[in-house]
Amino acid sequence: MSAVAMLLADSRFPAGGYAHSLGLEQAVSDGLGVGGVPAFIDARLRLVARADASLSVAARRAAAAGDADDLAELDDEHGARCPSPVLREIARRLGAQLLRSAATAWPSPLIDGYRAASTTTPRPIALGVVGAAAGLDDREVATVALYDDAATVASAALKLLGLDPADSARWVAELAPQIDAAARAIGADERRIGEHEPPAAVGLELAASVHAQRRERFFAS
Amino acid sequence: MRLGIGGPVGSGKSSLIAELCSELSDTIRIGVVTNDIYTTEDAQFLRATGVLDAERIVAVQTGCCPHTAIRDDITTNLEAVEQLEHDEGPLDLVLVESGGDNLTAVFSPALADVQIFVIDVAGGDDIPRKGGPGIARADLLVINKTDLAPFVGSDVARMQSDAAQRRGDRPVLALSLTTAPRAAPVAAWIEAQLDAFAAAGGRLHSSVSGAPDDHHGHAHTH
Repeated sequence: MSAVAMLLADSRFPAGGYAHSLGLEQAVSDGLGVGGVPAFIDARLRLVARADASLSVAARRAAAAGDADDLAELDDEHGARCPSPVLREIARRLGAQLLRSAATAWPSPLIDGYRAASTTTPRPIALGVVGAAAGLDDREVATVALYDDAATVASAALKLLGLDPADSARWVAELAPQIDAAARAIGADERRIGEHEPPAAVGLELAASVHAQRRERFFAS
Repeated sequence: MRLGIGGPVGSGKSSLIAELCSELSDTIRIGVVTNDIYTTEDAQFLRATGVLDAERIVAVQTGCCPHTAIRDDITTNLEAVEQLEHDEGPLDLVLVESGGDNLTAVFSPALADVQIFVIDVAGGDDIPRKGGPGIARADLLVINKTDLAPFVGSDVARMQSDAAQRRGDRPVLALSLTTAPRAAPVAAWIEAQLDAFAAAGGRLHSSVSGAPDDHHGHAHTH
C-alpha cells in the first residue's frame, strides 16, 4: 500500500465522508443494535461496496487509458446499479467533493477533464479517476474503496451508538483479511462491468428514502 | 461574498441571521446555508421568519462534526454554497451558519471570505478573557443579548475590554436583538465588507487567514 493510497483512504483527506453513515443511521433507527453493526458492514462489503469497488477499478483503467467515452459509460452503469434517486444524489455529491479536493491535491488533466465532462460524478467513478491521477494501481483503488466503506460505517457507529471506539476499530480489523482478499480479486478481474453480477441491496435502497425524509438526523446518508 | 457566522450553541446565530436578512434583503440578494447538528431546526426557523424565500435557505448535515464542516473538511459546505448560487444566483451574499460549537471553531478562509463570531452575555462574561481563535481573530466579534446582562450578572463593559485586548484593532459590537438598533450595526459592517469585497475584485483577506492561534494567557499589545 503506497503512502498516496493511505492519504486517499485517510478520513482526514477532505472528501466529505464524515457526514455520512452509509445507511447505518436509518438501520439503527429501525432497531439495529451494536451487535449487528459488523454484519451490516459485512453485508455492505459483499454487496454495494464490492460493486462500487469494481466500478472504481474500471474507472481507473478507463481514466489511465484516457478513454472519456468509457468513463461516461461507467457513470451510466453506476446509475443503472443504483435505483434509489436519493443514493444517486448522495453519490453525485460525494464524488464532487472528492474531485474538488483531489483536483488541488493531485493537479491533473484526468481529474479536470472528468469534472468538466461528467454531470453525475458518482463517487465510485470519481475515486477511480482520482486513483489514476494519483498513480494508484487497481488493487490499491479497490482496497481504498472497500476500506473507506467499512471505516465510514464504523466511525458513524461511534456517534449513533454508545461504544468503545477501540471496539469499532476491531470490527474493521477483523474484516481486513476479507477486504484484502476482495481487493485482490477485484484488481485481478479483467471482465467489463456489464459482465459483473449486479448488486442487490434493496433494503439499503428503500431505507435511504425514509432517512432523507427524517426531521432529526446527524448524517446526510 | 461568503460570510461565516460561528459561535457557541444558543448565542443567537440564527436570530442574528434572521435580523440581518430583514435588514439587508431589500437591497441585496442573500442565501443561507445552515449546518444543523441534529435537526433542520435552524433552517426551518429561518424559513418560518419569512425574511427570505424558502428556496434560498438550505441545510446540510455534518455527522456530529460541526467544526469539521467549516474548517477541516469544507467540501460539504462548498458544494451546498455553489449549488445554492447555481440554483438561486447570482447572490450578493451567502451566509454560512455553523452548527453551535466550542470556542476553537473558526471557518477556513477557503469557505468564508469574512467571518463573524457570536457570543452572548448569558454564556458567562469570562468568555472573551478565555479567548480562542473565534474570539481573537474573527473579522467581527458580536456580544449578543446585552439586555440580559443585569439578570445574569454579566459585565458588558468588561467583556468588551477583554475582547479588545484579545483582538487588537478588530471590531467588537455589543448589542441586543430585542432593542433598537438591534442588528443594524452588524448590517452596516456587512455592507462595508461587501464594498471592500467589490473594490478588491472579489477577494478579501480574512483576519483568520494563515494566522496562528493566540494562546497568550495575559493581555498584550499590538
